[in-house]
Parts: sequence; C-alpha cells; structure tokens
Amino acid sequence: MSGQSGCYHCGLPVTGFSACHGEIDGERRAFCCSGCLTVCQAIHDSGLDEFYRKVYRREVQLAPPPDMPADLDQYDLDEVRREFVREDSDGSCEAMLLIDGIHCAACVWLIERVMSDMPGVQKAEVNLAHKRLQIRWKRNQIRLSEIMRRLAAIGYAAVPFNQEALEGQVRRSNRRLLFRMAFAGFGVLNIMWISIALYAGAFSADAGGYAQFFHWVSFAIATPVLFYSGGPFLAGAASSLRHGRLNMDVPIAIGALATWGYSVFQTLARHEHVYYDTVVTFLFVILVGRYLEALARRNATSATTRLMELQPRMATRIRGDGGEERVAVRKLKAGDIVLVRPGDKVPADGLIIDGEGHVDESMLTGESRPVHKHCNERLSAGTVNGEAPLRMQVEQTGAGTTLARIIHLVEAAQGSKARVQRIADRIVPWFVFVTLLLAASTFAYWLGQDFEKALLAAAAVLIITCPCALGLATPMAVSVAAGLGARHGLLVRNGEALEALAGIDHVVFDKTGTLTEGAMRVTEICPVDGRDASEMLQMAAAVEMHFTHPLARALAGEAEARGLSLPDCREAHACNGGVAATVAGRQVLLGSAVLMKERGMAMDVGQASGDGALVWMAVDGHLAGLFRLKDRLRQDVVALIEQILDMKAGVTVLTGDSKQAAAALAGHLGGDIEVIGEVLPEDKAHYVSLLQKQGKKVLMVGDGVNDAPALACADVGLAMGSGTDVSMECSDVVLMGSELSRIPFALALGRQTLRTIRQNLSLSLAYNLILVPLAMAALVTPVFAAIAMPVSSLLVIGNAVLIRWRTCLPQPERA
Amino acid sequence: MSVIYGLIPGMILLGLVSVLVFFWAVRSGQYEDMEGPAHRILDDDDMPAAPEKNEQDADDDRL
Repeated sequence: MSGQSGCYHCGLPVTGFSACHGEIDGERRAFCCSGCLTVCQAIHDSGLDEFYRKVYRREVQLAPPPDMPADLDQYDLDEVRREFVREDSDGSCEAMLLIDGIHCAACVWLIERVMSDMPGVQKAEVNLAHKRLQIRWKRNQIRLSEIMRRLAAIGYAAVPFNQEALEGQVRRSNRRLLFRMAFAGFGVLNIMWISIALYAGAFSADAGGYAQFFHWVSFAIATPVLFYSGGPFLAGAASSLRHGRLNMDVPIAIGALATWGYSVFQTLARHEHVYYDTVVTFLFVILVGRYLEALARRNATSATTRLMELQPRMATRIRGDGGEERVAVRKLKAGDIVLVRPGDKVPADGLIIDGEGHVDESMLTGESRPVHKHCNERLSAGTVNGEAPLRMQVEQTGAGTTLARIIHLVEAAQGSKARVQRIADRIVPWFVFVTLLLAASTFAYWLGQDFEKALLAAAAVLIITCPCALGLATPMAVSVAAGLGARHGLLVRNGEALEALAGIDHVVFDKTGTLTEGAMRVTEICPVDGRDASEMLQMAAAVEMHFTHPLARALAGEAEARGLSLPDCREAHACNGGVAATVAGRQVLLGSAVLMKERGMAMDVGQASGDGALVWMAVDGHLAGLFRLKDRLRQDVVALIEQILDMKAGVTVLTGDSKQAAAALAGHLGGDIEVIGEVLPEDKAHYVSLLQKQGKKVLMVGDGVNDAPALACADVGLAMGSGTDVSMECSDVVLMGSELSRIPFALALGRQTLRTIRQNLSLSLAYNLILVPLAMAALVTPVFAAIAMPVSSLLVIGNAVLIRWRTCLPQPERA
Repeated sequence: MSVIYGLIPGMILLGLVSVLVFFWAVRSGQYEDMEGPAHRILDDDDMPAAPEKNEQDADDDRL
C-alpha cells in the first residue's frame, strides 16, 4: 500500500479533482478522496496503524468509506432507542448494529479494538459473516450516537436494527428444524450398527437372545426419532386430514407410522422382520430436504421494514417564536414548518417555503441526477437534501406520504402475487391417494390367505412408496442451484423464484440505473464559431473542478479522462443557475440556457434539441458552445438484449424519458424490443401486470424504490445489488454487483433447475413404479427396503448436484 | 458376549451426549460466524481479552 501508486487508505488510483494529500506519521501521503484521508487520520490518531499492516498481509482491497448516516442524534431519543436497544436493570444496554464497510478480518480487529478503547463500552463483537456488531455499553457513561459517530470516524457506517422483529421468528423455526434433523441423524448413525448386526445373522439360532435385545434397542432409538424428529409431519398430517386436503405430510406420516407400528408388532410377537432403521433413515432424509428448503425461503416481512427505515425518525421543527427544536417525525403535524439541513433526509411530504437547492430523489426514482427544487415545489419524505438549507411546510406525514403509498403498493403486490405452484405439490395428492389405494387393495388381496402376510405386504407397499426421493427432488435441486447462483453473483432469495425463472418469456427493464451507468458523462461537445472542442473542455473543467454538482463533476472528470491539463482559474463562483470564473484572463460563464438568455446571449435553438442535460458556455460575453451530458448506457447492454432474445424471451424497457428518446433507444438496441417512454414511476407495476394479463411470465429488472411495486408484482423480480435496499427486499433474485450478463445466466439456471426437478420427480416415480408391484406381491424384505430406499435418495441428490456442470457459463444454454 | 448388554446402551448414551453438545453449540452461537474466528486467531498479538459470553445473547444468536 505505497503512497505512490494509489490512495494510502484504500489503494484506489489517486486521480481526479477529489484527490487530496495529508500528513500521516510525518509523511505526506496521497488519498483518493477526503473521506479516506479523514478515516486514515482517525485511525492513525488512535495509534492503530497496525490495521494497514493487517490489511496488507491479507491482500484485501479496501474501498473508500461509505457515506456517513445523518441524524445520528435520533438514536438518543427515547422513542427511537426503544426500538433497537435492550436495556438491562443494571444500567447496561445492548444493541445490534449493521455495519457497512467491513471488508475483512482486519476491519473486525479495528472495530473491536476501537470500541473496546471507548470508555463505557463493555463488549463489542463483530460477526464477519453477517457484517454485524453486537455491542453492550453502560447507559450513564456513553450514548449510542457517540458509538456510531466513532464508527463513522474510522470509516464504517452503522445502522441499528431490530433483529428480533426482522428475523426472530424464521430463525427460531429454522433452528428447531435443525435440532430435529440432527437428532434424526444421530438415530440413523446408531441404528445402522444394530441393523448390520441383525442382517449379519444375529437372529440365527446360535446367536442366543441377542436378536430380541437388538430389536428393543432399535425400538428405543426409533421411537423418540419418530415422535420428536417426525413430530411436525405427524401434526401436519393430522391437520391436513382434518381439513380434508391431502398434502405431503400425509404419506410421510402414514408411511412412518405404519412401518413403526408394524415393527413394534413384530418385536412384541418375537418375529424377525423389523423396519426401525427404515423409519429413521426415511425421516432423516426428509428432514434434510425440509431444512434445505427452509434455508432457501425468504423473510417476506422485511421489505416493508426496510422501506420504513428510509424515513428519518427526527426532524428540526421551527417553533412559533422562530426557535428550532428536534422532534420525532411521528410528532409532526400537517402545517408544521420544518428545517431540512444540507445532507438531511426530508422527514415528510411538503412544500418548500424558503430556500432552493438540489434534492437527491434517487432512492425514489432511480434517477441519479439531483433535482433542482425551489419555492412552492414539493419534497417527498425520504429524499436527501443537497447543498442548501430548506424550510418546508409539512403537508402529509406518516401514511399519507409518497413513500408510504409505495409501501402500500408493495404490500398489495406481494399479497396478490400468485404462488408458483410446485410441480411436486400438484403430484402429491394423487400420489397419496394412489398409494393408500394400493396398500388397501394389497391388504385385502392377501387377507384371504394369511393375516400376517397381508399386514407385511401392505406395510411394505407403504414403506416402498414413502416419498423419500420425492420429498428431496425439489429442495435438493433448488439448494444446489441457489448455491451455484451465489457463487456467480446471483443471490436467490426465494427458492420458488428459481422454478419461476424457467418459465420467464418476457424481461422488463427499468432503464435508469439498470441499463445505464447511473452517473452523468459528457457525450457531446458542440463548439460554435469553429472553436476547438478540447480547448473548450479545458476551460470548462478548470472552472467546474471547484464545484461538486454532478454536472460539474462530469465535466471535470471528462477533462481528467482525456488527460487535459487545466489552465489557471480564478474567482470561481456560483451564480444563479450556473458558475462563472476567470480562466487565463478570460471571463468564462457556464450554465443553463436561462442564464445565457439573462446575460443577453444569442442562442441557436437547433443545437438544444435532443435528450440529456445541457450546459452552455460563454467566453468573454460570447456564446462558445454547449456540452451535452447523459447517463450513458452500460457497455454490455446490446449483447445482453441479444442473448435474451436468443433465449426466446421478449424484452420491454421502461423509461421516464420522452417518447422520441425512447424511440432512439429502441433503434439503438435493435428493432425487436419495445421501449415505452414517459412511464410514470407509479405506473411501472401496471405495465408489468398488463404483460401478465397477456399471458406472459415476466421477469422485472430494476433498482429504485419506485421499482419496488413492479419487482414485487412480476413473476420474478430481479434487483441490482447496486440499487436500494428496498428494491432488493422486494425482489426474488438479487444481482450482486451490476454485471448484466448474469441475467441470461439466471434464466439458464432457472431452466436447468426446472429440468432437474422434473428428472428427479421422474426418477422417484420410476422407482416406485418398479418396486410397488414387488411389494404388492409380498416379495420385499427389510434388507431390500433398507438398501433400495437410500439408493433412490442418493440418485436424486446426485442428479441435483449435476446442475453445477449442466448450467453453461457465461453463454446461455441452447434453447 | 454378554458385555454388549452394557456396551450398546453405552454407545447410545455417548451418541446422545454428542447430540446435546451440538444443541448447546448451536444455541450459544458457535456457528454464528463461520469466517471471523478463523482470522481472529491470527490477531492474537494485541487483541484485548475475549469478552465473555453472557446468557441472554444465546437467544439472539443465529444459526
């Protein structure tokens, strides 16, 4: 991590206008941004330079620190704190913080070190896998906001979260399932020893009374496994029979109970056929399937919780006497005057009554460019104020805000989304019905000859048909596919989504932030009067490098990228709708068309048509030209769309741009796709449902909060990992990073998964078809059943594992 | 051969003990973070003493 090649803190190249230098340990070091500099300074001041040695040793790449959360003092407010902090009677508090910015174990070391050095902190433990910090502190010695500020100083953004509310329920039930599975596993391992002894001849005459003993030992192992590990199946079957609907639990419960009951009967009658090992193995294998399934299931409640978190919890209210007070957002009423400081989140919907400035609405619209707002314009709760303080009058709070409406839309979409009906679920009732019928007729047939033989044959039918392999067929395939996806940057949040992905025949993209890069770039420089374009850019960049507006940054960045040297610039200042400065002795003015008209410049309107943002430039009072800046399409978009079309799926792109811009985009991307322009953010879900009404299975790809309803409404929602948390929570699949080429891979993976599930189901049904006649003919012995059943399960598991090799990468499979 | 009357229950008892140990390990969060501790052991040079686990956090642990 040498200072020459890259940023001293994160190692990124030190280029551009954000680069800066600082003195660390008596040496001058280069940093890529001021964030890295401050963090490095704080780490150095705490005497923890050891951190960099650890990072270096692990060869990890740090990143610039994340943006610091605003409004930290809100967590000292009693109402807010109660949500996250558990307080004990001895005056200590405990909370769980989600930490943004943890890269490796060196960060764990740094955080734990810094925290334990703070007075009042009793315990700080970082969980690297989940990026969480569990912290315990003395209430009267330190406040949570101070802890979070300290974390921010060393480069980590912390958000408290209420783990119990978010995942407590699911976690507890998963853990119970794990315990049941572990207990069944213990049963399998031990009962096998006994069974081997029995098969090896412990029942023969010279073995004495051991057979009886072994039977009773098997009984002692199998019975608790049946009633503890198999408890959920027995309960599920009982309730399913009460409601008159056959589900998967019924054959499992009947099979297990019948086998166990028959074995008990054999044990009591001192006969030789016991099937205890079959019961236990069977329950174990089924529980493995259930557990894998449970791990893949997602927590549906969290999407709305995340949305709620976008809303700030505190606001600065202006009292009648002109003084300011900090109040909880839920105490705001319509008509209150609120001050929104630069960088703060807007606490409620309302009208600006004083001030003007840029507001970042990207979490609502996905639009990366901050929107300029002035008096009498609306602000939405959750958006972030840019550079100037704004006073606004509250109109809507809580449930009345735009954000709350989106939350409502998401809830509605999630509620109405038809569950993908699993193929196995469709087969099960028939399967159960036929099994019971066969067992009953077998029993009736043999009853004429011999009661015991009839019982044995009927039990064998139930044992053989125990849907062991059938129960594993789907979960095993889904969990292998989900694991494969995760390794290639696809996070499958919902197992059913994989099956649904296979049926997708239409892909809808939200353009902004998904197909585009999400940052402004200079796409065109139009000089007038034969001026030199790069000279123009040089002068513009020299002025703009003094400003942080996205357009200014784009211009300065472009000059940097072209390797232009910047002339000397003086007296750079912002004026209404633009900037002005003296560059190399010439008066340069950059700004909007309105500004140019105000200054009496003659404008050529022809150049101003087309899309994108325009920055006009004037030198010494004469119009010099204009820059066109656009949020560029990502490079791989055209290839991506070709690949999707190759897979026989349609493509629709939704954009808020004008109809002309939409048509131009359609031409650029190829004729076979549909680009719909002027789509209002709220209407995206509507377009998705229109397509669904035409019988299409829709995959929605998006990233902003306003995409959330569409993501939830589509058959499968795919969110970009670079997008907002909310869009990720609403989606079934999350694309880590933003490599679009993973989308065809996701489709291929879904198709391969479905194919494997079908193969698995056929395998297990074929197994039943072959063996059931044997069982009905009373030809199946316990040894045979004990071998045949695991083999069928192993076949299904093996076939599922093959998904890894069968899903081609990165080329999609041939359709 | 009558020794197996004692050995087999003994085997099962030992198995049960290991199951109980596993239950305890899951409850007390031993499987909570599968990544961190592997690295943490390398940092022992200047780590503060490992903070003690208390009863309540057993319930907060995740599988």
